[in-house]
Amino acid sequence: MATTDTTRVATTETGRMGRVAYARIAPNEDLVQGVEKLCLAEGFRHAFVRGGLGSLIDASLGLRDGGYQQVAGPAVEVVSIAGEVRSGPDGAPVAALAGIVADTQGNVYGGPFLAGWNPVCVTFEVTLEEWLPDTETAA
Amino acid sequence: MTQSLHAGYHRPRMLRHVGRFSPVRIHSMHHQSGRHIRLLLAPGLSLYDALVRPLAEIGVTSASTTILGGQFARLEYCVAPPDPSGHAVIAYSPPIDAGAAYLVFGNATLGKDMQGKALVHCHASVRVASGEVKGGHIVPQASIVGAQPIPVLVTALEGFELRQALDDETNIPLLKPFKES
Repeated sequence: MATTDTTRVATTETGRMGRVAYARIAPNEDLVQGVEKLCLAEGFRHAFVRGGLGSLIDASLGLRDGGYQQVAGPAVEVVSIAGEVRSGPDGAPVAALAGIVADTQGNVYGGPFLAGWNPVCVTFEVTLEEWLPDTETAA
Repeated sequence: MTQSLHAGYHRPRMLRHVGRFSPVRIHSMHHQSGRHIRLLLAPGLSLYDALVRPLAEIGVTSASTTILGGQFARLEYCVAPPDPSGHAVIAYSPPIDAGAAYLVFGNATLGKDMQGKALVHCHASVRVASGEVKGGHIVPQASIVGAQPIPVLVTALEGFELRQALDDETNIPLLKPFKES
């Protein structure tokens, strides 16, 4: 029977929560890149989304085959969101965000938000909590 | 038809708002740490009162909250279609009565309105009385917590506060972070 070797994959990371940042992202800014820019602005390398709500002009949600589902607005309301931001050795933050959106009839759709393709309509409020891995803070 | 499946590139569209473009695109503030609170929304109260009152009693007036799911005796929500008046690009619809609805997951921001009164801005997905799942902007004063308490994870914002102010670009009053007054 074939088995999957998972021994080289780090599945746990211990650490602690650090600073808390709140931002209002303005219209026409991309949701995903806006969260990444927030991390650059506040100096967060890694973070978790603690809360977020707002509206998008249209939403683009990634599909398994590499395509996307487009939900037309305006406005498409973001009614659930979760995700994290991670920075690599170059320090550039990369946000991975997923959630549920509602169209102008209240119908709901869900999936990952594609970076660059989810422009804010009126406002997006987001709260991030900084994540400080022990491996980066022990020294 | 409000959704479609695609492959390949598309150019995301932008909107021109009614007011003057603001050069500040990401308006942020931070504090050295967050204060976390587990709150139970009390049965029979409106979502507004069930959030605002107990948090005010412990000195919390600005917060980001996650509503972890629970039954409401009744719930109202709005959607946000284009504003035909041209006053802004969108406007909230009249409240939609969801009846006895189950709030699946929601986020609510607590701040102060332009008169200094507590303001709750909540978006959520809900299973409405008919069984359909819908989503939108919850009307907190008109949505009544059901018979069981509903847990909420609160991240209190300290060192700054959230206040509603008229946003010149969109011509809509919005929550933004400010130094504490």
